[in-house]
Amino acid sequence: MSDSKLYIKEMPADWVPGRDKQKVVSPEYMFHEAPREQVFITGSEAAREAIRRSNVDIAISYPITPQSETMQQAGYLYDEGYIGEYYRAEEEIGTMSAIGGSSRAGIRSLTATSGPGLMRGMEAISSWPGARTPLVLLNMCRVINTPLAIQPDNIEMSFLINSGLIMLHGENQQDFYDYTMAAFMISEQVDVTLPVSVSVDGFFVTHARGNVKMQADDLKLPPRDGWRSAVPAMDNENPPARISRDAPIQKSNFISYHMHASWQQEVFAATERAKKYINNYLGGIVEIINPDADVMLIASGAAVSQSREAVRQSSELGIKVGLIKVKAIRPFPKAELREACKNVKQILVPEFNQLGWLHKEVCSNLFGFTDAQIAPGPRVYGGMTMPTEMILEWLEEGRKDKPWFFQDPF
Amino acid sequence: MFTQENLILQRPEPSGNGGVQFLYEVKGYGILAINPPMEEISQLHWEVDVIKFTDVDKYKFEVCHTTELANKTLVFYNDKTFNEFLLKAFDYFKELDKLEKML
Repeated sequence: MSDSKLYIKEMPADWVPGRDKQKVVSPEYMFHEAPREQVFITGSEAAREAIRRSNVDIAISYPITPQSETMQQAGYLYDEGYIGEYYRAEEEIGTMSAIGGSSRAGIRSLTATSGPGLMRGMEAISSWPGARTPLVLLNMCRVINTPLAIQPDNIEMSFLINSGLIMLHGENQQDFYDYTMAAFMISEQVDVTLPVSVSVDGFFVTHARGNVKMQADDLKLPPRDGWRSAVPAMDNENPPARISRDAPIQKSNFISYHMHASWQQEVFAATERAKKYINNYLGGIVEIINPDADVMLIASGAAVSQSREAVRQSSELGIKVGLIKVKAIRPFPKAELREACKNVKQILVPEFNQLGWLHKEVCSNLFGFTDAQIAPGPRVYGGMTMPTEMILEWLEEGRKDKPWFFQDPF
Repeated sequence: MFTQENLILQRPEPSGNGGVQFLYEVKGYGILAINPPMEEISQLHWEVDVIKFTDVDKYKFEVCHTTELANKTLVFYNDKTFNEFLLKAFDYFKELDKLEKML
């Protein structure tokens, strides 16, 4: 104990935090007008650059593969003065509880995790939407099932689907960059005031390089205004601050069932209200390629990339296949899908998980709105890759008359 | 950044292993380059093959390990050396085209 010392890095007297050298611009300018320059970087580096431009007040996380590298990069940003406060929490329940608290205090808050870390933090995470805490959770997906593995698999997203969070699912490094910045702005809208998760498929996005078009690094988004919110931020300068809602909403640990029910309805209504901001900042909640095709692939995340190549290779064979890229899982783009699929004859849903959570979302939202047969796949999981050939083979099988092909094996 | 000259296709790596595949073409020959996912940023590198196209329009090709440029898959550890190789390869393919026409 006698040799242990608290290390505090002393900055030169003339040191200026990086964020103080940046110019605040509107989200509209940042997302739609600011000139961009293309670089070739990993998803972790893309997230770092998004955080640099997002005016983040605090970041808290606990390391876990494949998230660790991104938050290591965030540590560099803290060192350069682009993040106000940053620390490694004791584990994920502590992380998710602490970042929820910082958001309640009215400051822009960021955390990140992966697979088992997300599972560990779920109790605290599921409390965020009801507490109306705007914050951003970066989620780099990996296997959660035993035996232990660190491979890409996005089944963990199924646990977030009905938690009340807004859920974005990025395809590639560019999405990880764009979605992260947009997530802060969506999260903090008064009629939203909800946490936003930005999920990407681990390793395929985080640990591989891709083209990213970025704005200049001397620009940053406007700061969070804690008082511009659906519920007021805690006034920590005048303790004690109340964490629970005022009576009659809540009295001690009691809340009436009809009050709780309407509170939940409001959370999920707020999720739906986020759609207009997603449309604005991300250029639409879906992207559609070949909208007039009879056969449509519906995918999110890295499965979109493989589907794009399958669409291209199909066109070489003279076969037109469409693709709907789903950018947000919550709010789910049901109106957009119903419109896009009303005349479609077959739908395939490529996914990186065993459950087929996107397939289930597609089926439940299209039921009664299309006559298309919806195939439960192709699916890979546990770290398996999805070769383009696999999608092409499924497309070919779909052209044969096999009723069993469209039955979910699980 | 590396040159975008003679780049005819960039696509998700078709085998599904992750990363972007870049396809360059000059006079029927080309370069196939991939920067695959790695556990650490410091391990990132380019894996590069010389290829010969069988159908440029449909991006059909065969790996070609019989040129003077390379007799195996090459590895480059940074964009600068990869880019230098690309420029050298483009010149080489043009020369090769001239020589093949003389035969």
